[in-house]
Amino acid sequence: MSDIRRFYFVGFLMLLVMDTFSQVCFKIAANHAEPFVLNFAWLLRVLTEPWVYGSIIGYLGAFVIWMTLLRKVSVGVAFAASHLEIIGVMIISVPLFGEHLNLVQYLGALLILAGVVCLAYSEPKEPQTHA
Amino acid sequence: MKSLYVVALWGMNLLVDSAGHLAFKAAAIENDTATGWAHWRHMLARPWLWVGIVCFIAEFVLWLAFLSVVPLSQGVLLGMLSIVIIMIGGRIWFHEHFTRLRVIGVALIVLGVALVGGAG
Repeated sequence: MSDIRRFYFVGFLMLLVMDTFSQVCFKIAANHAEPFVLNFAWLLRVLTEPWVYGSIIGYLGAFVIWMTLLRKVSVGVAFAASHLEIIGVMIISVPLFGEHLNLVQYLGALLILAGVVCLAYSEPKEPQTHA
Repeated sequence: MKSLYVVALWGMNLLVDSAGHLAFKAAAIENDTATGWAHWRHMLARPWLWVGIVCFIAEFVLWLAFLSVVPLSQGVLLGMLSIVIIMIGGRIWFHEHFTRLRVIGVALIVLGVALVGGAG
């Protein structure tokens, strides 16, 4: 694997982990703060919920990784590829929150994965030559 | 009247989402010699990063407002148009190429997100 390929691979993998971590923390915080009503008491329950700070840390980490990736990767390609997060969240929701996935959702996840593989192969080995 | 409100919220969501990502791209490539902390200091001292951050704070509010008038799965589907807008924006402002493999890849992702969102 060339250096730039490794940079893409590690970068997008870290982005996926950070994004998924954020969403999981958010879900746990929201579950603990139930019932959901858009008022001050609910906001207070959310803000005193430690998991919400996990999701903020995840967001900050994802932001730093995203800005680093954008230095090299085309924004159109990177933004589309960042939807890989959906698969991460979907899969981890099964054991963590007991959610059920249907066949259409598996098919959707497979198409996203296929799309990201296409984008990975569409990247030139040297980004300066034809970005 | 209500549908006009929904469309306006949709348009504003697409606008801030796309503008935010394009602003981040502009911030990331502005000074391509600096690395690490020097690069971050440079980005923080220049407007593009802040334009992006303001866009995403606005998006947070606009997205909640949008989701209060459309179901989540429909909201996700409608929001996906930003994938296409950002790709076109990248071509216009950053001279990114539309290769055949890229167009196929993005189309597969759009279809995949539509299936996951629509079936959820």
